[in-house]
Amino acid sequence: MATEVVMPKLGATMEEGTIVSWLAQVGEVVEEGDAIAEVQTDKIVLEVEAETTGVLLKTLYDEGSTVKVQEVIAYLGEEGESVDGIDHKSFSASQAAAAEDSAIQERPFENPNKKRRTPAARKLAEANHIDLRRISGSGPKGRIQKNDVENYLVENTKKITPLAEKIAVDLGIDYKNVTGTGSNGKIVKADLLTSNPTNESHVQPAIQQGEKRVPFKGIRKVIADRMVQSANTAPHVTLTSEVDMTNCVRLRKELLPVIEKISGCRLSFNEIIFKATAHTLQRHPDINVSLDKNEIVYHTNVNVGMAVAVPNGLVVPVVKNANQMGLAALTEECKALGKRAREGKLLPEQMQNGTFTISNLGMYAVDGFTPIINQPESAILGVGTIKEKPVVINGEISIRSMMVLSLSFDHRIIDGAPAAAFITDLKETLENPFKLIV
Amino acid sequence: MREITYSEAIREAMSQEMRNNQDVFIMGEDIGVYGGAFGLTNGMIEEFGPERVRITPISEAAISGCAVGAAMTGMRPILEIQFSDFIMIAMDNIVNQAAKNRYMFGGKAKVPVVVRLPGGSGAGFAAQHSQSLEAWMTHVPGLKVVQPSNAYDAKGLMKAAIKDDNPVLFYEHKMLYPVKGEVPEEEYEIPLGKADIKKSGTDISIVATGIMVNRAMEAAAELENEGINVEVIDPRTLVPLDTETILESVKKTSRVLVVYEAVKRGGYGAEIASMIAESDAFDYLDAPIRRLGGVAAPIPYNPELEKAAVPQVNDIIKECRKLMNK
Repeated sequence: MATEVVMPKLGATMEEGTIVSWLAQVGEVVEEGDAIAEVQTDKIVLEVEAETTGVLLKTLYDEGSTVKVQEVIAYLGEEGESVDGIDHKSFSASQAAAAEDSAIQERPFENPNKKRRTPAARKLAEANHIDLRRISGSGPKGRIQKNDVENYLVENTKKITPLAEKIAVDLGIDYKNVTGTGSNGKIVKADLLTSNPTNESHVQPAIQQGEKRVPFKGIRKVIADRMVQSANTAPHVTLTSEVDMTNCVRLRKELLPVIEKISGCRLSFNEIIFKATAHTLQRHPDINVSLDKNEIVYHTNVNVGMAVAVPNGLVVPVVKNANQMGLAALTEECKALGKRAREGKLLPEQMQNGTFTISNLGMYAVDGFTPIINQPESAILGVGTIKEKPVVINGEISIRSMMVLSLSFDHRIIDGAPAAAFITDLKETLENPFKLIV
Repeated sequence: MREITYSEAIREAMSQEMRNNQDVFIMGEDIGVYGGAFGLTNGMIEEFGPERVRITPISEAAISGCAVGAAMTGMRPILEIQFSDFIMIAMDNIVNQAAKNRYMFGGKAKVPVVVRLPGGSGAGFAAQHSQSLEAWMTHVPGLKVVQPSNAYDAKGLMKAAIKDDNPVLFYEHKMLYPVKGEVPEEEYEIPLGKADIKKSGTDISIVATGIMVNRAMEAAAELENEGINVEVIDPRTLVPLDTETILESVKKTSRVLVVYEAVKRGGYGAEIASMIAESDAFDYLDAPIRRLGGVAAPIPYNPELEKAAVPQVNDIIKECRKLMNK
């Protein structure tokens, strides 16, 4: 007598499960406790185990099929035993009574899990992991033909330019999750840069002949193209301003233990500058803009990206709605993103939708520089190192902690005056950080 | 190249083998001066004499027993049954003796006999002289069954049949006898069990036997104008069957039409269709395997009804359109 294997009820709310894969083949001997199938609920993937030892006689559903709980999905039994006579539509004994009414009603209809299709259509669908239930057939009686599957494949294949596809293959990026910005959502080269954390193993050193030669490709090439494109299309103007950071130094010293206690992270100047920039951007909507073909987009969100150096390149994770975050949360977020970036674990959405970027070289002996705008954003803030300098205040020389800010902006849509107003406002905020409370 | 008829090609094959091998001889009703019912053996008695062109009484039971006995004692007889329909009378000798003896004598005896069987409809010979019963023979282990569709194949297959040490049933089609084709004068053999792709195509594989190969070729030319590209396969021998050529074609085209003149029910086309369905080519099918065969009725005497009883060019065209969902 064959034993039924049923779709298990793995949670109180579980009503159906999807067979992800059959782990045992028909005809295979399985021991009690062996995994027969992988089943996915709305929450988790679990294995269905054999309750007795026997031969897997028959599986009733293809992989990818969704089956109600307690419904029979396979039979175990002795070798050579036939289960063809068993009406597998009926539920297991404990459920049989309850299910009888619905089973009777279902019988006149075709099994919705088994659509009419030709063997060639089934084979092609299997090879491409397509659920045939999603395809409508053009053959007699709605039969799915091979060309129906082919058409479905053409329509549903992710559109990508040949260049972007090559880059994706070179970098080993799975571009299925990348949002395309080209026509009809086609993925273009630029989409890959914003979505891809670098991976140093992709640069293969060429044979060394005195000098090291590395193929110019992959993320390096993408960065290069993006920089050239930005530098060539956006007329860059860079304003610099020296900021007295003395109050910020004090603020940091006082907040350090407080924030460490809340978030476990050490507050750095980076986050204070982040906070001040986001705060100032919010009050200067004419800086928080993008040029989109014929329209200037005024962003409602203040999403601030931070340039992070990684082996072999540079990525820009984005802190979403940075203006709405307190310093503790901001510190935690910046540290987490920085860590993920260096580990190459950034998700595509963590690098998208930036509206402004900060490039902080303060840890180096850099005073000021001319950063290149991270398109399609329109401005970028370069941060120099903080160092103590003699400064004249009210006719007296005193020693203050000074830092240079460099703001590059796209002169096509931002003029000098608003940019100057922004950097002036930012300077005042940093010099009087209590303004951040307002 | 020289063109000769289907019947001349068969005669040439027999004559060449009779010149090559003294053991080969022909026997049958009226095959001497009269040249056989279809004139196929014309002139052979003049060349080979009555010892090797043996005119027999009208008794298929007797003459088939003679042929099987002669084969077992070392000769290589070619027996003409005037109409393939009459093989019923010879059935015991062929099925119980010819097909079994090599096996039952553990290989010490062999039965190298060729039985020539003019078959098929279209000549107005009515129900007892127009049948296509080759499927009965394919059912019997120990018999080989050949069904040439043109003059070139007929000559090459006949020579292979004569040289084979097993009983070979050689089904000729009466309506093909006068059809000419290019046939080289020199000797050549076509091995039994090798199908021929008469026309290659991409959309549908038509597996046709006997005269249906010719009709399938006509249909294919018509369908070409409609943009349907048909591949025509002639198995040439039903037993042994070249499954590989058929299955490769099915994998390529994804659609199959099996066309045969015999009654569709239980005909050899059913075997071909089953063979395809069981094979790994199944996964490539993009439509059900279709068969086109004769209707389950005796062949009528009325010429119009006779045509309606077996597949014609138009029937093949219609069936192909259906297969393409057109």
